[in-house]
Amino acid sequence: MLFWERLWENLPYFLDVLIPAAGMTVRIAAGAFVLAIVVGLLLALLQTVRVSIITVVVRTYIEIIRGTPVLAQLFILYFGLTEVGIRFTPVQAAILGLGCNGGAYLAEVFRAGIQSIHAGQMEAALTVGMTPMSAMRYVILPQALNVVVPPTTNYSIALLKDTAIVSAVAAPEIMFKARNLVMETYLSAQIYLLVALMYLVMSLILAYVSRRLERRLAISGASGMGRPSTA
Amino acid sequence: MSEMVAVYEEHLAQWLPQLIEAAVNTVRMTALAFVLAFVVGLLLALAKLSPIAPLRLFATGYIEVMRGIPSLAILFLIYFGLADFGLIFDAFPAAVIGFGLSGAAYMAEIFRAGILSIHGGQMEAALTVGMTPLSAMRWVIMPQALRVVLPPLANFGIALLKDTSVASIISAPELMLRARDLASSSFLPMEVFLLAAAIYLVMSLPIAFLTRRLEARFSRGQAHG
Repeated sequence: MLFWERLWENLPYFLDVLIPAAGMTVRIAAGAFVLAIVVGLLLALLQTVRVSIITVVVRTYIEIIRGTPVLAQLFILYFGLTEVGIRFTPVQAAILGLGCNGGAYLAEVFRAGIQSIHAGQMEAALTVGMTPMSAMRYVILPQALNVVVPPTTNYSIALLKDTAIVSAVAAPEIMFKARNLVMETYLSAQIYLLVALMYLVMSLILAYVSRRLERRLAISGASGMGRPSTA
Repeated sequence: MSEMVAVYEEHLAQWLPQLIEAAVNTVRMTALAFVLAFVVGLLLALAKLSPIAPLRLFATGYIEVMRGIPSLAILFLIYFGLADFGLIFDAFPAAVIGFGLSGAAYMAEIFRAGILSIHGGQMEAALTVGMTPLSAMRWVIMPQALRVVLPPLANFGIALLKDTSVASIISAPELMLRARDLASSSFLPMEVFLLAAAIYLVMSLPIAFLTRRLEARFSRGQAHG
């Protein structure tokens, strides 16, 4: 069939372009993931501080970010901020946009994780003379980790796929390079099929790694403290 | 800040009607894709739980593949890819089909979890009193599962509403596309995109609020029962 012949003929060229682009996709996803964890943890910890103004600010950030499309946030960062003289490269805007967006989602995950640990744990830690900070660091967070890891790894897979939309601000990742290839060769069906396959392989690998990580953590933390039923 | 107020004073009367008109299209796209995802998702969930192995295999394969591919790639495949085979869609139906088919994979997992959450004894009891498996599913399992799936279903709806913004990349007529047009014609991207984001927020916050109340009520009911 002509369809497959054309794909076969052009495959080396396509892969030449798309594999480095996949590297860029991974780099953007990894950058955004790290940023999202930092932002999410910060927002979750800020909410445990009982100062109402901080809580209001943090809740507002989370609600606004979760209530608007990440594409709109990207456009505000990339196109909007140029009006006030702030210019990001496409990759910077992509990492910043996806990371700050993910931070709002992870904040909720982390908050649920911290809350799942029985309040008596914090009280006990304070009673034996730990400061609130070190109680959080050495008592609460390590236990919360178990609750938090499965949704966090799910988020990482969603994030990997969400990087596709940063092609809209011309970040040179898979989707963007694929669109250029299509303009060059007009083989849209073959190229997008290949692209879909590449994303599939990457997310399957990530899902496999995540599941192994979850299993290892579940065994090491087998005390089962505070893990909510998944029913 | 005062500059921004001045911009809105000058342009809001012109932008807002256009954006609201486009937002109606966003809602229409979301609703149609939701219905498609609902129907296909339910069929997939039933197939995955069915005793017929090929059906199970197909459903599992579909779900795993679809969940591993960005919806943008699926939109591109449907909108640009299928054109090679003479299947030419307008951008709007292409977006509805794309979001519907990719959403179905998520929907299927929600439904499956809902059905599995109902104790197996219920099905056995229904069969014992002489119901067929199909009518037991329809009259005994499904009504109870609905309660479990309602909150995740609503969350999916909210996520879908925001995800339709991605359809602007294939130039489907919806809110984000109109915002991009206005941003490039007015050279005021910040003000236009902030306004568009606010419209998305206004659309999604009420649903999110209702969902959370629903979830709170259900979890209370479970705690007591």
